[in-house]
Amino acid sequence: MKSSGTLWRVVGTASLASTLLLAGGFAFAMRDMLIVTPSVQQAARQAPEEAQAGGQYQQADEILVTALGDSLTKGVGDNSGRGYVKPVLEQLKAATGKPVQQINNLAISGLTAAELDKMLAEDRGLDNPIRQANLILLTIGGNDLFRPVLEARENGSSSDIPLDEIEAQIPAAAASLKSVVERIRAINPEATLVYAGLYNPFYDIAELRDGSAAVQRWNDEAYRILAKDEHAVLVPVMDLFEQRSAAYMASDHFHPNQDGYVRIAQRIVQALT
Amino acid sequence: MKGMLPLVQNETLKIWKKKRFYVILLILLVLVPLFTYAQLRVSQTNAANFKDWRNQIQQQITDLQNTLASDRMPEEWKKYDRIKVQQLQYYLDHDINPNSPDAATFTRQFMASSVSMFFPLLILALSSDLVSGERTGGTIKMLLTRPVRRWKILTSKLIALTLYVSLAILATGAVCYLISGLLFGYGGWTMPVFTGFVIDGSAIDATGVHAVPQWAYMLMQSGLIWISCMTIAILSTMVSVLVRSTAASIVTMMAAVISGSILAGMASSWEAAKYIFSVNIDLTDYLEGTPPPIAGMDIGFSLAVLGIWAAAALVVSYGVFTKQDILN
Amino acid sequence: MTIDYPVRRRPKSRPSAAAQDAASKAGVAAGEPVLDVRGLKKRIRRKWIIHEVGFQVHPGEIFGFLGPNGSGKTTTIRMLVDLIKPTEGEILIGGHHLARDPEKALAEVGCIVENPEMYPYLTGWENLEQFARMQPGIGEDRIREVVSIVRLDERIHDKVRDYSLGMRQRLGIAQALLGRPKLLILDEPTNGLDPKGIKELREFIRMLSATGLSLFISSHLLSEIQLMCDRVAIINEGRVLAVGRVDELVGQASSFVLWQTDRQEEARALLADQPSVQLFGDGEHRLDEGALAHLPGAIVTSVDEEALPDVVELLVRRGIGIEAVQRVAPTLEELFLRLTEVEAE
Repeated sequence: MKSSGTLWRVVGTASLASTLLLAGGFAFAMRDMLIVTPSVQQAARQAPEEAQAGGQYQQADEILVTALGDSLTKGVGDNSGRGYVKPVLEQLKAATGKPVQQINNLAISGLTAAELDKMLAEDRGLDNPIRQANLILLTIGGNDLFRPVLEARENGSSSDIPLDEIEAQIPAAAASLKSVVERIRAINPEATLVYAGLYNPFYDIAELRDGSAAVQRWNDEAYRILAKDEHAVLVPVMDLFEQRSAAYMASDHFHPNQDGYVRIAQRIVQALT
Repeated sequence: MKGMLPLVQNETLKIWKKKRFYVILLILLVLVPLFTYAQLRVSQTNAANFKDWRNQIQQQITDLQNTLASDRMPEEWKKYDRIKVQQLQYYLDHDINPNSPDAATFTRQFMASSVSMFFPLLILALSSDLVSGERTGGTIKMLLTRPVRRWKILTSKLIALTLYVSLAILATGAVCYLISGLLFGYGGWTMPVFTGFVIDGSAIDATGVHAVPQWAYMLMQSGLIWISCMTIAILSTMVSVLVRSTAASIVTMMAAVISGSILAGMASSWEAAKYIFSVNIDLTDYLEGTPPPIAGMDIGFSLAVLGIWAAAALVVSYGVFTKQDILN
Repeated sequence: MTIDYPVRRRPKSRPSAAAQDAASKAGVAAGEPVLDVRGLKKRIRRKWIIHEVGFQVHPGEIFGFLGPNGSGKTTTIRMLVDLIKPTEGEILIGGHHLARDPEKALAEVGCIVENPEMYPYLTGWENLEQFARMQPGIGEDRIREVVSIVRLDERIHDKVRDYSLGMRQRLGIAQALLGRPKLLILDEPTNGLDPKGIKELREFIRMLSATGLSLFISSHLLSEIQLMCDRVAIINEGRVLAVGRVDELVGQASSFVLWQTDRQEEARALLADQPSVQLFGDGEHRLDEGALAHLPGAIVTSVDEEALPDVVELLVRRGIGIEAVQRVAPTLEELFLRLTEVEAE
């Protein structure tokens, strides 16, 4: 009698208290979800603490890399998923002997220069990774220039692909690129900005081979934008994908394959060391 | 209600002496360290890959944006990712880490992800043989030949079950907190957590969003879990009244719960599925701001559905239990 | 609820158990039945299981409920204790209508339906506590009392899963006695017990009866009922065939006399000549084979009670050596046959 009486008192009290607590929690949740006018409780927007700026990679003990841009930076086409960014990290480490860390790879497939510009303008979440870096890797513009061609090809009309359409995209895309570089510089004026130029993804298609001229004009345009910046460098990759394009292009005839990316990475590392 | 308390005492002692609660504690003591360790590994990987949590959240956003850019993804699934992105963005904008590595956060996340499966399982350990156990044991003959009305017997069983359901939920929280605290530290109670995200199609209406301290969030969350668990408990009591064998009663309930969560996963195309109780079990989703499995569901709807199911189950349970002939 | 609970459990103002017993006894005037069953019928899934059952159990008597397995005994008992609702008919226990006022009616009954099944994960004591809480006015002292009545004191704090069948039976009786019932219902109480256990149980039942308790005992064994009961209701195929004093009813079926002599043929011829003796051939009697085991080849007869000494003397005078004369009780089957014949007439 004694023991079961005590047991009952303990279990009974504990479980009754739990029940009341949980019922109270439910009432609280209902009040919060259905009744409370939230504007009153609007969270005070805390100023995010400023991340430490990365400085210049040449002087830093550690190379901190943030990658930005489109599918090339993402590594689309590389079955191992490494793209050019991972090889750059490894080769840099080997070449400099310094530890190399990737802060973020913020690339999004299919991004255009205009979209990137908009993201940098609106998304404050990008500030931190850009500020922390001392080396910023960027590819952009390919989607701006080649989208008309890709769309035309998707529609099956490969005969009359508007080569001059590529040409026509250049001014707007270049303006976006200029804005992108300025925005990056506003966040981080010191880091080295590496921009990998465009190549002609359609080089192996005879009637599109002439697109190379337009691509070259874009690269010139990009060079002009970056030349004013002492910490910026344009790495040309166009030549890598012309003579033996089949060996370095992925099966989608648009992105590089794993070997292609490794060659881009080699160029970038050569430019930096 | 006079004379109810000794009956509740009886039922409470029976459940205790059947060692059902020990079983629950044992399950928790085995599983929670497992999940805690898994979480530890995740945090370690993140710590190795990212300078701080902001980079990690940003990467998560970028990854989601990449999936959103893919054409192969069905539009309905993209909706979840869009909302997830907006939520992560909100946390990032307000400089609050939604995955802060502390015991309170771990407990909150563990409890939230347990609503649809783990909690129902624990509840079934308590409730499935509530009545069928008395039948298989033959003790129902002793129980029902006492000078006590049958509805009182069933009521006392339901009250005792309610008490244990509450105890089980709190015990889960406590075990989770104590064990994960060993690795993550016992902090995090006052960390702000956002709630009040209103889902509108594939966008979030953030006007209602407000921060609450984590302890308050956990209190609200537990209250909602309690409602889900009570619905399961009442339904399983009905099955236990109707079905003679305890095994059959567990299987029936588990099948209902599992099929509910599968339906919730496939979702959206079959709209009438939203009237199934197990599709509505995940009440904590509304607190978190996760989009409901089927368009048109909100907290009020889900509570109504659960309430109707529970009420119907009670009517059936009492109706059958008080009239039924005990033939063997 | 928490406040009034201890007060309710142990009411200080409540009359003592003895006074309460006396008061309730006074309520039932001598002759007013403790159990009154009228026109009971039960249909399960469109099939009538119980056609017509009615009888009365009077205060202080041991009432037998006799019938073969499957005759409806258990169904009837389940109806008596509210486990099964009768389709028709009514049951009054201690004057309370079971269907209308089950709480009062059931408070007057203690029962064991089939096997005494208790919670195996509780101790005997905890089991009794469970049942004590379901009825007002039963305290620790009453539990101690019934435990000592069934002599389970030593093992009462052991888990029931470790009890032998006999101990479970005793715990079951303790449980049934707990509420100070006027009527104790035992369903086939000797099932599964060894001869020693059966003997103890019989003594125990007589002892309980001596305290003024009415007992209702079901069995499929005629001898069992003969040994224990005052009155009996005989049930077959869902119908009560007869209700009456055990000696009268059982007397309706004549008993047999078995003869074993050194000259069986001569003895048979002699017996056949006697008007007070009726001879039975091999297939004619419905005697249990067990009854003949010790007397293989015995002559089966039925003899008028008063004439038996004369018949024995006659055989002795003729020089026939009598090895054995044995009276054997009629079987239940025999009794049924006799009862249905009576009914048919």
